[in-house]
Amino acid sequence: MTQADTTLNFVSGDEKAVKTVPVSGQVNRVGTGLINPNQKLKFSFNGKEMTGFAGDTLASALLANGQRLVGRSFKYHRPRGILTAGSEEPNALVELRGGAAQEPNTRATVTELFDGLEAKSQNHRGSLNFDVMAITDFASPFLTAGFYYKTFMWPKAFWEKLYEPIIRKAAGLGSLSMKEDPDSYDKGFLHCDLLVIGAGPSGLTAALAAARSGARVILADEDFLPGGRLNAEALEVGGQSGSQWAANAVAELTSMDNVRLMTRTTVYGAYDHGVYGALERRTDHLAKSEGKPRQILWRIYSKRAVLAAGSTERPIAFGNNDRPGIMLAGAVRTYVNRFGVVPGKEMAVFTNNDDGWQTALDLQNAGVDLMAVIDSRDVDAPVSLPGVRHLRGQGIVNTIGRKGVKAVETTGGVTLPVDAVAVSGGWNTNVHLT
Amino acid sequence: MIIEHPLLGPRDAAEFVYLGDASLIDRPDWQAEDAAERFYEYGYLRDNPAGEHQELWYHEQGDRSWLVVTRNTMSHEITKVELARDVAKARGRNT
Repeated sequence: MTQADTTLNFVSGDEKAVKTVPVSGQVNRVGTGLINPNQKLKFSFNGKEMTGFAGDTLASALLANGQRLVGRSFKYHRPRGILTAGSEEPNALVELRGGAAQEPNTRATVTELFDGLEAKSQNHRGSLNFDVMAITDFASPFLTAGFYYKTFMWPKAFWEKLYEPIIRKAAGLGSLSMKEDPDSYDKGFLHCDLLVIGAGPSGLTAALAAARSGARVILADEDFLPGGRLNAEALEVGGQSGSQWAANAVAELTSMDNVRLMTRTTVYGAYDHGVYGALERRTDHLAKSEGKPRQILWRIYSKRAVLAAGSTERPIAFGNNDRPGIMLAGAVRTYVNRFGVVPGKEMAVFTNNDDGWQTALDLQNAGVDLMAVIDSRDVDAPVSLPGVRHLRGQGIVNTIGRKGVKAVETTGGVTLPVDAVAVSGGWNTNVHLT
Repeated sequence: MIIEHPLLGPRDAAEFVYLGDASLIDRPDWQAEDAAERFYEYGYLRDNPAGEHQELWYHEQGDRSWLVVTRNTMSHEITKVELARDVAKARGRNT
């Protein structure tokens, strides 16, 4: 660490996790994960100064600073927090930068943190904490579908001039700068024998196999750190950590002339006869683009392609499951293992499959107080978690709290005080592109 | 979409301009008895097959050749690409 007032202890191996003294402001930072603790970054959220580290996303930095509430929902202005740790994020949409470069509706979970990043929350009148439009949530039983169109019918002329502008202003997300885009953009063409979409364990293995045989390979991944879930799990591959295995595979691939590794690149479409579209973000992770193209639209011609886009976790439906602090269990593991951040200090895990138990294990190793693991199945715990309550065959029926979850109620009538919940409903393979 | 040009190899569809049904090669004889009827059919009537279809593509951004492309309209699979000149000659035209 560069500053004397901050300490950060490594949580390693079998050693029982120690609750560490947090880096100033970063109350939820419990480890280093894959971030660089020697490179501290300053950023602001709604004008409030916060810090993170190189390797953080905006979402992980916000969580580290204990910022659970990050936005308001589209219609009822319900408080919203971070749900995922990837491009599937539906809630944590923020406005980045300012002036002409202002960019609305950006997912905090895929925004790479840089020094001086300015982020703002969206869709609230007044402050994020006190949104006067949140009244719509309490009036929601009256605001059914078609309410506006039935209620504001007369006088007819008022609709276009008065009613609609007001209603439109009440809903919606970010705002545009209304200024000319100061950045430049480019396009390009690439050719290869094999396009590998996704640099997780499957993608890296496929790219290595093809590259070693001499094929021209393009490996594209939307993240800035290749490795996919290898970076997010506390697992071992061939005697080394998953992230180390990924780093070694990437090192071998980058040493080969016939491989082009494209990080921060989203392959968004496959077209006839082996044509693929990809968007590479070149300067979005920098404070200034300095004349370089901000994004490049690539047209990739490939003889074959391997789709290794990973999986997306399903949430579980229950009452008020949109409160800030309620997150997908796999995303929680990402924050704990990759970013060294816990979403809360007292958590519960709600799962319907074995994978949720891995999250419970990782959380316990990170020093989080686990109030309970709620498993909707009537089965024995697949993972041994001494001292952790196992609620068999139960589910969450409701959550309590307004700007963040404070407690959950289960079908068995148990009320658990928590400040975050990890929810796992199983995984769906991504057989689509973006 | 990629068109396998008989002379130039695989080329991107963006280099080409689509003209339409390859039956446009078979211009009717204007001196025939039923010329009016046949020109009406030539000008207006087209098959619209779900499946294999022969169509004319012009390599505007390339060598400016006319091609007859056999394409499956269901799968976009291109099974055959010929120079329109060769097709016309095979059908007995001299140019």
